Amino acid sequence: MKKSLLVIGVAVGVLLIVALTVGGEKLVLKGLESAWDTAIQSALLLVVSFIVIGQIQVLLSKEKLDKWLGEYSGIKGIVISAVVGGLLPGGPYIYYPFIRSFADKGLPLYVLIAFLFGKNIYDFTRIPLEVSLLDPKITLIRILITLPIPIIAGLLAQQLFKNISTDRLFPREEGSGDPDHLHS
Amino acid sequence: MTLTISILSTVALALFVLNKNENGKQIEGLKIGAKQFLQTLPLILGAFALAGMIEVLIPKEFAQEWLSAEAGLRGIILGTVGGMLLAMGPYAAFPIIASILASGAGLGTVVALTTSWCLLGLSKAPFEASFFGLKFYIYKTVFSIPFCLAAGLIAHAIDLLIS
Repeated sequence: MKKSLLVIGVAVGVLLIVALTVGGEKLVLKGLESAWDTAIQSALLLVVSFIVIGQIQVLLSKEKLDKWLGEYSGIKGIVISAVVGGLLPGGPYIYYPFIRSFADKGLPLYVLIAFLFGKNIYDFTRIPLEVSLLDPKITLIRILITLPIPIIAGLLAQQLFKNISTDRLFPREEGSGDPDHLHS
Repeated sequence: MTLTISILSTVALALFVLNKNENGKQIEGLKIGAKQFLQTLPLILGAFALAGMIEVLIPKEFAQEWLSAEAGLRGIILGTVGGMLLAMGPYAAFPIIASILASGAGLGTVVALTTSWCLLGLSKAPFEASFFGLKFYIYKTVFSIPFCLAAGLIAHAIDLLIS
């Protein structure tokens, strides 16, 4: 987070200098005014968004999601994986190790693809932020258009990599898990 | 905006009640949300400032020629590439995308940009490459690009239909 803040801070500094050079004080004030307007408009939405984010995080445990993932296969498995991917809260520090654990369970590669695309595209905890910070209408259109992407990606992966399970993709660490479960 | 707040508040309330009945962790959820909000607030404010400056700095002619609905496929391709380069989290990315929208970008460009950021944002690259290997990362990138372009094209068609 500190690194991101530093990057944003430097970028703001650079753009302030550019704006000052290109359009003088007037342009800088116009930019800051626009920033202030956005902040005021989205303040309440942001507060509510973070309430939703917090509640989703305590509602869904990794164990619960894990259980859903193991229960289905085929097209049902693809849809469930994509939705579970979207439901898993948290950033890359949380979901990449979680996906990596698929290898130990011997889940098919298409399940992983559907899950990964579901997380990237759906990410339900991100939607309140998208609505508050971008635009509700644009968000709705974006969601409707991209809704089939994780399912299509999962189906394509199922056709292209039919018999490949995730353990083929990732080298297994010696002595981890039960080898009998690998090709189930 | 009022409708959005109403919908989001209803969702928040429903989740609160659900947690109360399901696991009794509703207060913990509020604390987590508040903590995350306070932690990310400086980043969000910084992103607002950055977005404001981008909005006034993007030349109108550039937006018209490269990003607007009239730019067509050019805007969609540029949006797809731009989304990859937005190597940042949602707190920073969405205000920037909003500023590009405000500068006159078309729906196709904005949807391609958002979809590309979702799927291909470079901030994910180090994680994907280190957890799954470079080969997987390259395959996933190649596999994802047509989805971003297709999403942009569909949005562009919708833009033409409603305008």
